[in-house]
Amino acid sequence: MASGAPPLRSHPSSELDYFDIDDIIATQGRIPSKLEVQIYNLGFLDPSSEGNDLQAGAKLELPLWLSKELSYKDGYREVFKADASVVDLHRLGPYFYEFGTKLLHFDFEENSQMASSMQETFIKRFRKIMDSSQNAANEDASLLTSKLDHIEKQVFSAGRKGVREFLQWETGNTSKLTTSETVVNHKKRKRSMLE
Amino acid sequence: MDGTLPPYNEDLVRQVLEEMKILFEQNQKEVALTVDGETGLFSGVHLRHASLERNKRCLLSYIYNRMLRIKGLRWEFGTVLPEDIKYNLCEQEIQWFTKYNKSLATYMRTVGLDLTQDMKPPKSLYIEVRCLEDYGEFETEDGTVVLLKKNSQHFLPRSHCEHLIRQGILEHIL
Amino acid sequence: MAQSEGDDFLLSGEATGGGDSEEEIEVTAAEVLVQLEDAWLNEKFAPELLENKADLVECMLDQIKEMAKNLKKVKKGDVVASLHKLEIDRIRYVLSSYTRTRIEKIEKHVVHVLEQEAAREESEPSRLSPEELQYAKEYADNMEGLFKSLALQHMPANMQNIDRKKAVPRPNMDKYVFMKVLENQEQVMIDPEEDPIDLESGAQHIMRYSAIAPLLSNGSVSLL
Repeated sequence: MASGAPPLRSHPSSELDYFDIDDIIATQGRIPSKLEVQIYNLGFLDPSSEGNDLQAGAKLELPLWLSKELSYKDGYREVFKADASVVDLHRLGPYFYEFGTKLLHFDFEENSQMASSMQETFIKRFRKIMDSSQNAANEDASLLTSKLDHIEKQVFSAGRKGVREFLQWETGNTSKLTTSETVVNHKKRKRSMLE
Repeated sequence: MDGTLPPYNEDLVRQVLEEMKILFEQNQKEVALTVDGETGLFSGVHLRHASLERNKRCLLSYIYNRMLRIKGLRWEFGTVLPEDIKYNLCEQEIQWFTKYNKSLATYMRTVGLDLTQDMKPPKSLYIEVRCLEDYGEFETEDGTVVLLKKNSQHFLPRSHCEHLIRQGILEHIL
Repeated sequence: MAQSEGDDFLLSGEATGGGDSEEEIEVTAAEVLVQLEDAWLNEKFAPELLENKADLVECMLDQIKEMAKNLKKVKKGDVVASLHKLEIDRIRYVLSSYTRTRIEKIEKHVVHVLEQEAAREESEPSRLSPEELQYAKEYADNMEGLFKSLALQHMPANMQNIDRKKAVPRPNMDKYVFMKVLENQEQVMIDPEEDPIDLESGAQHIMRYSAIAPLLSNGSVSLL
């Protein structure tokens, strides 16, 4: 068996993610950026500006998708300079890992540090998530999952699902055929509409 | 898949398309000015272009993900959609659904398998079921006719009941 | 090969066994089922569409049709007949699941699959059966029609097309898969940053699909 995990590799995920709603939401997160050049006619983007135009040096919180686009070398100058040290990864809530990995697309000095700290964080939390998913089989999980990132939530439910299915298999319940969930919900709604 | 599909949000889609039109026209203006010798407008054009692409992505993604849910409805409900769900689909989505059904039916016919059956591995030949609603007469493979009345219980061939169970007409009792 | 009477009935389509040609059919049908089950598991766990095994599917479909015909001749309520009916259902389940898995992948990556097919050399076999190719084309056209009518045709002139590089869902070839080694393999390059390793027959591993894809298509590993 291979010893140690293979190194984190970034691969172009945009091909997989164009239609992915989670990816769209993750790239909506804002990142503080500083405008390096003047942009005419877009003054309305900066609530603190007075004129028609965006002034060089203006500090804006831009959604990540826009920041990414514009931080490429534009002509001979960088248009925006995103500031990684100011981004508070912890306030990012449910899209911590996805947003975090997208930040790696920028050429920050802190990149390798961010990558390894995200990996460490994930590994440390993963253990706890796995343990609690195995033990909380049928309890209400909302308290446990409220502090989890989006990806961690998926890991947690996969763990629970595994335990549940195993228990069902043990008691011979797997062969039970069930009404499709879609149909159940549809009937519930219909009933409540008639009441 | 929870069986709900909100109504197609035509207003929102129209707004996004309108915004795209405005952004594009502003860009065209500035590009024309640049060609005429004005410098310094490039960044603004670039920013608007990025917004245009973003809007495009969001719109297409909205349509695409609804399409996936509608596709799922074929596999859950069958070829006829309940009226209240159909109500939430726009005209083009209904057309998509019709074409999808036709295409799938052709494929299943040429392969010789009904892919919407046998969704779970068979464990036993006959199963005990309880009828949840009045359904009427039901003929099994060997010719016996069963009357499916609400609350009646029966011992029936699994393969015949599968689709009635998935539609909520019968309940599998273990 | 010694077969019980039940198996004679099951796979040869005759109530009474005997005869060389019938034994041949028995062995072949049983082998085909094993091959089908292997193809089914591989298809389930591989992120990309694998080579189509329409011949296996057709063969087993014919088999179960034969078996069903034979069952009709048997007295009702016969316990052995019930078991055979169950076997028919099981085989049909594998066939359906295999076909469904392929259709799901074709739908999910439809543009990618069609591009792959268009780029194929004449000498290379197609991954799609003719029916699957037809289905893929119809699905792609239908989807494109939906995009066009609802959005693309209302967009600025130079934005009315799907960007082939960005907006085409493609299979994740770096997905990790569980696999079993069927034949010893020497010096396989799994990770470009590490030395190639030897894979021992019978060993099980979890690794990136892209590393073992060629081994899967030549049958030296199978997916779990």
